[in-house]
Amino acid sequence: MKVSVFSGIVVYFRSVFQGVSSIARACFTAFPYLFRVGEFRKEVTEGYPDPVSSKTADDLPPRTRGLLFNEIDRCTGCRACEKVCPAQCIRMEEEPGADASKIWVSVFDIDFSRCIFCGLCVEACQPSSLIHTKQYEGAAYELTDLVASFGRGQVTPEQRAKWAALRQMSENDEVSL
Amino acid sequence: MSSSPAWVSAWLDAWGISAGLPEWVSASISVAALFLLILVPSATLISYLDRKLSADFQARVGPNRAGPAGLFQPLADLLKLLQKETRREWSWKENLWLIIHTMALYSTLAVIPLGSLALMVDTEMSAFLPFWSALVLALGTMLLGLGQGSVPGWFGGIRVAAQTLAGCFPALIALLCAGMRTGSFRWSVLASSQGFMPWQWTCFSNPFQLIALMVFVMSGLVLLEISPLDGGHSMSDIHGGVASHLYGRRFSLFNFGRFYGFFFWSVITVVLFLGAWNLPYHLVERLKDWGAVRLLGILELLLILTKTFFVMLLVVWVARVSPRSRVDQITDFAWKVLSPFSLVALVGASIWAGWRAFQ
Repeated sequence: MKVSVFSGIVVYFRSVFQGVSSIARACFTAFPYLFRVGEFRKEVTEGYPDPVSSKTADDLPPRTRGLLFNEIDRCTGCRACEKVCPAQCIRMEEEPGADASKIWVSVFDIDFSRCIFCGLCVEACQPSSLIHTKQYEGAAYELTDLVASFGRGQVTPEQRAKWAALRQMSENDEVSL
Repeated sequence: MSSSPAWVSAWLDAWGISAGLPEWVSASISVAALFLLILVPSATLISYLDRKLSADFQARVGPNRAGPAGLFQPLADLLKLLQKETRREWSWKENLWLIIHTMALYSTLAVIPLGSLALMVDTEMSAFLPFWSALVLALGTMLLGLGQGSVPGWFGGIRVAAQTLAGCFPALIALLCAGMRTGSFRWSVLASSQGFMPWQWTCFSNPFQLIALMVFVMSGLVLLEISPLDGGHSMSDIHGGVASHLYGRRFSLFNFGRFYGFFFWSVITVVLFLGAWNLPYHLVERLKDWGAVRLLGILELLLILTKTFFVMLLVVWVARVSPRSRVDQITDFAWKVLSPFSLVALVGASIWAGWRAFQ
């Protein structure tokens, strides 16, 4: 289809006019923001870390996957979290405790430099000792400070021997019963 | 060849330094003073205002931590950039090139018209001399990119050269339009042909001069790769092109060179089209009667800097509300829209000037 010279010129001038007017319209949309009229008075961004508008832990939704916390009294040392973790950031050591039913979790380290906060460990935890807190500020100056330890601490060999004796005694009691 | 600028001798006399200094000393002093006292503070102020105004347009806060309301942000940026380590030490050849390039770029500080007294080089062709800076900037950027030896550098360098070429033609034609009105390209004649009031400015004297002003500003954006027409070295497909291998001090110098181009373009826009440094006539006469030469110089400087900053912030405003164009769209725009309009403005302005001349 042959386009006439006249319509070509018209199209040219119309496109120039449209370009100029679109830029002008875009510029005028900035006026309400510049002069803070009506609903544009407030910024739409969070003012973190200024307390004016940034979110505290209470503002976050209830299922927020924040930093992890392990209630070591409920932890059974089943290692379900360690096995399911995709980043392999949980390290634990456990041994039989004083009571036959209780496991002494001596070391329970979560390396937050590797944790991806996926929540699979919390889902896998049977006694629900491992939970997400709503804390999200976990920055540290040293890499080693990023490891959170929830373990109860190493046990001396004497203590271990005492516990073994205690367990033996309670087993004998059960057998005799 | 004109003598050393009157403002330098006025200040030196006031401080009691003998005026028997050779010309090259006073010229060097004035260039260094212009750089340190005008250019660097302007860069600081414009970068701060740019960030704060952009934040206002975009419903954000902008810098607010470095100093009250973020006023020390440019200083913080400068200190950060100065202490960043470079990826590769430059050889002596590259450093020599950098020295020569910098000298060539900032040599046009001698031609920047910042007041009736601050005119070091006031010749018949003064208005064309700042183009030297623009072309040096473009050539240097292109060489920087080509010398990088990597794909972003090659493509970035060639794109910068293409965009500069596209912007040069309409810019020069629009410049001719401004000179058409006064018949000369001397800064002093261009400035004295305008007045303080807006209706006495060149751009409002006839509609073709208004077109010439628009074309001049837009072709300057194309020529010097200023946002939103900075496609030459900001396209994401080459990771920013020429500047992708610059860190720390080199990066800040590179951007300062770009700012210098933006700054002098705005200054000559104001001088050519927007009334230059003209204060109200009676004020000028009163100050001259009192012999307050330095005060007159300072007031003219403040007026021209205010107008310059207004032009620069207008460009920043348009940049923040518009998306970037691709580099080939920019060159298309320059060749297919700006050049024809600049020629129309030239023809119209010459007919207008010739009409009046033959009355």
